[in-house]
Amino acid sequence: MKGSVLIIGGSIAGVQAALDLADSGFYVHLVEMTSGIGGAMSQLDKTFPTNDCSACILSPKLVECGRHLNINLLTLSELEEINGEPGNFKVKVRQHPRYVDPTKCISCGECAAKCPKKVDDLFNLDMNKRKAIYLKYPQTVPLKYAIDPQHCIWLNKPGKCGACAKVCPADAINFDDTESIHELEVGAVLMSPGFRPYNPEKLDFTGYGRLKNVVTSMEFERLLSPSGPCTGHMERPSDGKEPTRVAWLQCVGSRDENRSCNSYCSSVCCMYAIKQAVIAKEHAASDLAASIYYMDMRTHGKGFEAYFERAKDQGVQFRRSRVHSITPLAEDNLQVQYADEEGTLQRDEVDLVVLSVGMEMTTKSQELAHLLDVELNENNFIKTDPFNPVATSRPGIFVCGAVSEPKDIPQSVVEASAAALEIEKMLSDSRWQETQEAQFPAERNVFAEAPKIGVFVCSCGINIAGVVDVKDVTEYSAQLPDVVFSQNNLFSCSQDTIDQMAKTIQEQGLNRVVVASCTPRTHESLFQETLRDAGLNKYLFEMANIRDQDSWVHQNDPEAATLKAKDLVRMAVARVRGANALPYNQVAVTKAALVIGGGMAGMTSALALANQGFPVTLVEKADKLGGNANRLFHTWQGIEVRQQLEKTISKVFYHDNIELKLGTTVEKATGSVGKFTTTLSDGAKLEHGTTLMAVGGKPLIPTGDHQYLYGSNKQVKTLLEVDEMLLTDINMGSIKQAVFIHCVGSRIPEQPYCSRVCCTHAIEQAVHLKKLNPEMDIFMLYRDIRTYGQREAVYKEARSLGILFIRYDLDNLPQVNEEDGQLQVLVQDHVLLRQVKFNPDLLVLATAVVAHPETKDLAKVYKCPINQEGFLLEAHMKLRPVDFATDGVYLAGLCHYPKPLEESIAQAQAAASRASLILARDMVPAESITAEVDPRKCVGCGMCTKLCPYNATTLDLDTMVASVETSLCKGCGACVAGCRSDAIILKNIANEHLMAAVDAALMEM
Amino acid sequence: MNKIGEHIRQRAAELLESREIDAFIGFRQGSLPMTTQHYVARSAAEAQNLVWNSFCVLNPTNILPSLLKSFEPPRRPGDPLPDDLPKVGIAVTGCWSRNLAIQFQENQASRKRVIAIGLPCTGMSDRRQILAQTGEMVTEVSETAEDLYFTGGTVASLKRTEILRPNCASCVHPQPVARIMTEVIEGDCINNDAAGRFAEVEEIEAKDSDGRWDWFSSEFSACIRCYSCRNACPLCYCPTCFVDDAKPQWVGKGLNSSDTSIFHILRAYHCAGRCTDCGSCEAACPMGLRLRLLTKKLDKDVVDMFDSEAGVEPFKPLPLSTYSQADPQPFIVQPSHSKGEDS
Amino acid sequence: MTDINTEWQPKIITFLCTWCSYAGADLAGVSRYQYPPNIRVIKVPCSGRMSPNLILNALKGGADGVLVSGCHPGDCHYISGNYFARRRFGLLGNLLEFIGLEKDRVQFTWVSAAEGEQFADVISQVTESVRKLGPATRLVKNIPAEINVERACANE
Repeated sequence: MKGSVLIIGGSIAGVQAALDLADSGFYVHLVEMTSGIGGAMSQLDKTFPTNDCSACILSPKLVECGRHLNINLLTLSELEEINGEPGNFKVKVRQHPRYVDPTKCISCGECAAKCPKKVDDLFNLDMNKRKAIYLKYPQTVPLKYAIDPQHCIWLNKPGKCGACAKVCPADAINFDDTESIHELEVGAVLMSPGFRPYNPEKLDFTGYGRLKNVVTSMEFERLLSPSGPCTGHMERPSDGKEPTRVAWLQCVGSRDENRSCNSYCSSVCCMYAIKQAVIAKEHAASDLAASIYYMDMRTHGKGFEAYFERAKDQGVQFRRSRVHSITPLAEDNLQVQYADEEGTLQRDEVDLVVLSVGMEMTTKSQELAHLLDVELNENNFIKTDPFNPVATSRPGIFVCGAVSEPKDIPQSVVEASAAALEIEKMLSDSRWQETQEAQFPAERNVFAEAPKIGVFVCSCGINIAGVVDVKDVTEYSAQLPDVVFSQNNLFSCSQDTIDQMAKTIQEQGLNRVVVASCTPRTHESLFQETLRDAGLNKYLFEMANIRDQDSWVHQNDPEAATLKAKDLVRMAVARVRGANALPYNQVAVTKAALVIGGGMAGMTSALALANQGFPVTLVEKADKLGGNANRLFHTWQGIEVRQQLEKTISKVFYHDNIELKLGTTVEKATGSVGKFTTTLSDGAKLEHGTTLMAVGGKPLIPTGDHQYLYGSNKQVKTLLEVDEMLLTDINMGSIKQAVFIHCVGSRIPEQPYCSRVCCTHAIEQAVHLKKLNPEMDIFMLYRDIRTYGQREAVYKEARSLGILFIRYDLDNLPQVNEEDGQLQVLVQDHVLLRQVKFNPDLLVLATAVVAHPETKDLAKVYKCPINQEGFLLEAHMKLRPVDFATDGVYLAGLCHYPKPLEESIAQAQAAASRASLILARDMVPAESITAEVDPRKCVGCGMCTKLCPYNATTLDLDTMVASVETSLCKGCGACVAGCRSDAIILKNIANEHLMAAVDAALMEM
Repeated sequence: MNKIGEHIRQRAAELLESREIDAFIGFRQGSLPMTTQHYVARSAAEAQNLVWNSFCVLNPTNILPSLLKSFEPPRRPGDPLPDDLPKVGIAVTGCWSRNLAIQFQENQASRKRVIAIGLPCTGMSDRRQILAQTGEMVTEVSETAEDLYFTGGTVASLKRTEILRPNCASCVHPQPVARIMTEVIEGDCINNDAAGRFAEVEEIEAKDSDGRWDWFSSEFSACIRCYSCRNACPLCYCPTCFVDDAKPQWVGKGLNSSDTSIFHILRAYHCAGRCTDCGSCEAACPMGLRLRLLTKKLDKDVVDMFDSEAGVEPFKPLPLSTYSQADPQPFIVQPSHSKGEDS
Repeated sequence: MTDINTEWQPKIITFLCTWCSYAGADLAGVSRYQYPPNIRVIKVPCSGRMSPNLILNALKGGADGVLVSGCHPGDCHYISGNYFARRRFGLLGNLLEFIGLEKDRVQFTWVSAAEGEQFADVISQVTESVRKLGPATRLVKNIPAEINVERACANE
């Protein structure tokens, strides 16, 4: 069995899976078709619902991926062939030539500046030009140029141009580069090729392609982006004017079988349209009128409904409508013609139309599926199983991200970790078999030595030397106090210079090093490794950024740039002088997990970990396993839940590695990642390395305005109660008329979020009832139908079966009365504009899913936050959906947010994957630059404990002295800045270090 | 005033007699007329030395943390604090009670160990202002609810309202914070117009930058770096004050105007969101510097920006230990195109 | 105007958080957005690391300007550091203005990792506003002899 994995597609899902796998003991080949990883996420401006800058949060993951010792990045590559069986696949990967030697390229951009051939920039969706030699985007990984063979003049007519080769200071251009075939042996394959935005050219009514000011949402992302074609100034294509009236058209290429052939919902477009409207309003110099034309507003995720409400407050207009056409007006303006809800034709004039295009499978991905021999579903996405949502039809081949169904980033990231877990489970015997670990010599103790500082000044070809007088800077450096060696290098990061630098450190007996070159963000770890190779602690190092922040930004003022470079070197020398060797902190791992909650999520996590050989204690407060799934009848696909549930329960029950504790709760806990100690209600004390919380949620009991006679009239039931009736084979076929009320307790001021599952659940149930008795009249009273993704099929089926949908709104709630013992439901019909009356024999309430009130107490035990609605709050909504800011604690299932079974399962798998990152190791690394309390100066005021986002600082009320738990500290320094007594320092970033840099900067020369 | 003094003496004596408390913090007559000193009564007999008059200007909570600590037995590191430590009584007006709230929040005093008696406050008198009018020769003072009477001065009496300390004249929370008081003595309180509470600060704010610098540099040029202001402040309890610290040395030790200025700026900043405008610093300053203007400016901004007032809501997090996503940020420099210049 | 004033170049101590603003400054370089060479960057983990002491220390040392830049609110790598920083900066900035320090000597901004052009723009603005003020004298401990403290003379 192989210990390596092939991942196809460098989307955020592929990158996350690669990191999870590589960090837990598997070697990863990451195959990416283009010249750099990052996928669609790298093209986004901001992400909902936090408005995080997409590049900012993505970039660190990409850099980590690019530098990972156990990730082999194969860009410009495609899968060619696959043979073998699960555990032992043989694959061929074809890598196209880059024509730029990535080991030499310093990404200075001289080549692109000189390249005479302008080409449409695909990254910016052809809205501007790049050169035939190009960097995919500024933060791409690997940060290396590539030549586009289609457009390069030399490659098409050798001898004709070659400008890039002439100017390249690193001699990196290689026109003779050829394609190569990599024959790899891997244990498993993961598909993460992402999606393609729907191309609306086929939809003539939108005017896309004909009318310049009709753009797709992806194009609009680039228009908003500071790194886009108009550097974030938001200009419309026809005349570069800033639009003041913008319209968003929803469901372009989604929920539209007739015109676009895509009947599914793309799940993310409602939210991104709202986000774009909000961001555009923020961008606009004047008041921007933003209108969104939609059928149903689908804001079904965590924090989404609140975002929607905020957008309304900020003046975004929402028009429930059907758009008929977009037509041109004078001055390149556009007219949106639409039918409003009453069917009246309306016209709005706007400056720009954004088409909220859906997600599609790409042709390439279909070919890939064919090559891998995995089945597609009716929407051409990869077919998966609701009880194992990352498995394909072929064993050993897994899938994650939007290629199996349109989904948002967090769901893709969850699936990435879930897929990593399934692969880890399968290959767990080969863990750490093919991975490498960096080896370094023992470190010299320099504590007692006087500072001997070496300064290496980089020319970076002519990138620095072309502006800054590097010779002058090098000579100047030699005169600085404690500097015993200084040298100028052509390329400090080239392998020979690196080797020579290590030798110099040893020969000269240097104990501090400064490199004046590019940015520490990309090169610090490389130079720090060089220090370690030379037997020095890596924290005895500083960089002076004389390229990105000097020569590149003062190109026309060499004198000032040289002066600045000297200042920067002097500051770095001053800072490194006081630097101390820091320990490479590690925490020994107790290889056992605690899973709290015995529902489907908790059981899935427990099994996933137990199957990898880790001992698991599963704690459930009730006296039986299964949680809410015990009451569920069908998944939305119509698959019976009970059978699967019973199978899972018996697996848990009989598993050797799982200790089951029913009727038990958690009392208190101490410790941190790698070594928790938890006390249970039965008095047991558990030692464990990780904690997974999967404590579930529960259905709301309707009250007040939303009670609808529930509890007093026996014909009023909740969804789960009807499921239970179906499970116990009570004859439901005799019902003549059934009415469902949606959003009972959801999306109301008291409970402002959408419960995500109820629309699909209610409609699936209605369809089942209708099939039991086709004569049954069924009416669905809804606010917005939110059958997101492929669940739209259920909605479609319901309508085709004759189930009727009537919309109500919050100002006009349905009225439910009892008249002569007969149930009566009144509702205002928006289309017919009159009140409709029903006398159903069954009224089903689609009630909200709420958090258990006890979740709050459990969160406190493990120092995890909860949100206003009582759900657990993950570390980052987008990229860390199952982690907490506190390391070693994870979450899954309904305690995070309402979600259907398949999403709970994926999340549980993901949480288990994140937990295995810890459990797979003997030691886990911890931050070295941490805070430290000087007990003599501490007065015990407790300020630091309030500022620390990781709860790393605690105050001992007996001694009145605070202390820092090093393994929890991330080194942000918030406590340091808040401490009036100067009693907390941040190692190597103490006030002295920063003051030394300030003083050096201000020193008169 | 006399009634309140009588009440304090009586309650302090009772509490000490019954051993409910081991000490009571109040004031006794100072050695000069119109002065008082902190006084710790440790028996019912000593409680009779306690006085209450309009010259009780030094905030008594200043000595509370150290007094509480003095009752703690010597311990080895790691030994827990005993549960049944002696309690201390203290009589506090509005501003002092708010300091108590801060000290509770910052763990400098344990609520369990403090018997706090809330006092009504009609404002304290400004000795300097009085002396300016009466001359230095006053030998005795007596007071009624409205007036002060002097023996030996050039003026026989003054209206209390005319010689109020500026912090009292602008005080809008003279009532003790009821939620942390053990008991409260009822009585009349000063009733100032809230609109003018920051008038002193607004007067400086109205100047231009040069004018403000002239004010600041001349006001603080008289400072002799005696640190009486810091020592009188109930918020200053760091074991090593930044001004005394050698590693790092934030402030030079001599009489350099830059060092002196930075000392005062940083001292005021350390009181941000915590200062209750008790006026102890000014009362203690031998040079008569208007030190409060800095802390009052910060008070004003904390109210304006974070809707918070030191100690008024005793269990609310202190403003610099918390945040709101909607905190104002008009000072943030914006890139020029987002200011709408091109429209 | 003397010669010193025409030749004089302000020195602006600039504290950038590692995760957003420092990356934004790098992006300005990668994109070759030019800006005045007057800033001296000191990298800190987070704007929440910035003690007011450090800002005062730079002023005392003779910095003509101090600029602190962090992640936009909500983007903090350390969850909440910039929110705490925002409160501290608001109070400190106002206090310094109150004691008569020129308004533009100390400035605060947010720059994300994607805002290269914005970084260059902010630096240009800040540099020009500091240049207008002339050399720092207020709160400076050792004013270099060649700087003519105009205001001191004007008062007489």
